[in-house]
Amino acid sequence: MNIVVLVKMVPDTESRLEIVDGKVNESGFKYMVNPYDEFAVEQAVQFKEANGGKVTILSLFSNDGSIDTDLRKMMAIGADEAIVLRQDNYRGDKPSANATVLSNAIKEMEADLIIGGVQGIDYYQSATGPMIAHMLGIPHISGVTNLELNDGKFTAKRQVEGGLQIIECSNPLLVTCQKDMTKVRFPALKDIMMSKRKPFESRTVEPVESNDVETAECSLPPARGGGMIIEGESSEDKVDKLIEKLKTEAKVI
Amino acid sequence: MSVIVVGEVDGNDVKEISQQVAAVASGMGDVIGIVMGKGISDAAMKLSTSKIIIADDEALEYYDPVKFTSIVAQIVNQNNATKVLMGATTMGKDLGPRVAAELGWGYLGDCLEAGNEGFVRPNYAGKVLAKSNTTDSVVLSIRNNAYPAGESWSGSVENFSGEIPDSGLTTTTIENVGAGTIELTEASIVVSGGRGLESPENYDEHIRPLAAAMGAAAGASRAIVDAGWVTHSHQVGQTGKTVTPDLYMAIGISGAIQHLGGMSGSKFIVAINKDSEAPIFKVADYGIVGDLFEIIPLLKSKLEN
Ligand SMILES: Cc1cc2nc3c(=O)[nH]c(=O)nc-3n(C[C@H](O)[C@H](O)[C@H](O)COP(=O)(O)OP(=O)(O)OC[C@H]3O[C@@H](n4cnc5c(N)ncnc54)[C@H](O)[C@@H]3O)c2cc1C
Repeated sequence: MNIVVLVKMVPDTESRLEIVDGKVNESGFKYMVNPYDEFAVEQAVQFKEANGGKVTILSLFSNDGSIDTDLRKMMAIGADEAIVLRQDNYRGDKPSANATVLSNAIKEMEADLIIGGVQGIDYYQSATGPMIAHMLGIPHISGVTNLELNDGKFTAKRQVEGGLQIIECSNPLLVTCQKDMTKVRFPALKDIMMSKRKPFESRTVEPVESNDVETAECSLPPARGGGMIIEGESSEDKVDKLIEKLKTEAKVI
Repeated sequence: MSVIVVGEVDGNDVKEISQQVAAVASGMGDVIGIVMGKGISDAAMKLSTSKIIIADDEALEYYDPVKFTSIVAQIVNQNNATKVLMGATTMGKDLGPRVAAELGWGYLGDCLEAGNEGFVRPNYAGKVLAKSNTTDSVVLSIRNNAYPAGESWSGSVENFSGEIPDSGLTTTTIENVGAGTIELTEASIVVSGGRGLESPENYDEHIRPLAAAMGAAAGASRAIVDAGWVTHSHQVGQTGKTVTPDLYMAIGISGAIQHLGGMSGSKFIVAINKDSEAPIFKVADYGIVGDLFEIIPLLKSKLEN
């Protein structure tokens, strides 16, 4: 089984978000592997361990090499190789352009399964996966919490309102992973050492035209006027006051 | 100029979120509603758009991205539509991007605002708002509760007569995991618990009954999801769900930045925490400093009366 894992590098969740002239100041950003994508790497490696085959990590990013160490950690989980597509002026908020570049690369890889995270924790569009599937002309299943492979057939559980949709499909297929999917292992020291010798290819790719909507202006959300503490003689007094406020001020109960 | 609204039904009714989307779309042009499913015709007619196209077919019993994308695209092309809108539900978030790819249009997911003044969507779990003003054709999914719902009324109805392709996907069933519980992202009240509860038994004893008493959905911080007390489907925050209810109650939750990302868009926030310095109080409209084990039982019994 030939598996391609899509890994997005996203700004660390602790990154300071500062707006300058209507744009997010990204100069101090540190990048990390999108947390949802780690589940995809782990799941791919489990399939490989059970059925044989190859796991290739595919990532699209800028020419910034500071991410390489983090990508190598994904190889320590058990991926066989990594291909990083390097693009001048890469932006994470262009799902359609990025899906075009990624799907072009995947077309040459004869993948049976393409797997990634359900969303990037930068722009939360959940768009790149389904778009790639469409561009490749294959089905996709998003937000999967459990994926099994038996006799060449995948069975996925997909989170929907109030339940789990159980879907069967044979390959090729694109899947995006929800957090509960599987437990990501901590690689052993020997795997970390081994990962340093695995193939790690950087490939330059050209920017492409797309219909992605450009952001005109960014702003911080209005600060919440929080900070009101309900004082009272006793817990009961505080609870009474809270209920009163929820009923008469907020009118939410 | 026509605008397409993809509606969803739930039992005998159109989903509230779909009526909200129909209301947003009504300011953008002539609205055509599409509802897809099996045995959904009666409910679909309640979608508040002036024209409704219903695709009611055996093959559409369960949501399928390939089939649904094809149907929406066929209707867009027949009507020269320039926008497609849907709710940012598990279906909308999955379908929207694929429809955009099929049409070659831009996609804006989970919009908080959509109208002639532009589109606003959250970045970095709502810590930044990104505004765009495109006049190009675009596919939009709209966040629940961002707009009031349109009145339920029925317009002219047509049946979809195009092709439904094969997809290679077979849904065998929908497993009801939380039968009778309210979906976090659709709830108007969310009651969430955190590590302050000390044990999974206390979550079941304090959070679930309070949620039930308030007609609320039960949520959680990541700390207790990671500890295995509740499943990830309960998690609110940057790597969980984003919720925007009328009332959010954070109980024994410190208010880490990643948690705030998922709930600070709520209309009213209540925090109950024994540490007066807990960051959650900075975003809370009403805070109680105190022991949750004393406060929650009182609150529950008073609300039940
Ligand atoms: C990449 C990344 C992504 C993350 N994503 C998320 C996410 O999506 N959602 C999320 O929630 N977190 C997320 N986190 C984790 C986050 O940083 C916090 O660790 C987590 O939110 C803490 O959960 P908590 O508030 O329940 O626990 P704690 O921070 O331990 O807080 C417990 C609180 O309970 C209070 N308390 C204790 N006993 C009582 C009592 N008897 N009565 C009243 N109050 C009491 C304490 O004062 C304390 O404030 C993420 C972290 C990272 C690094």
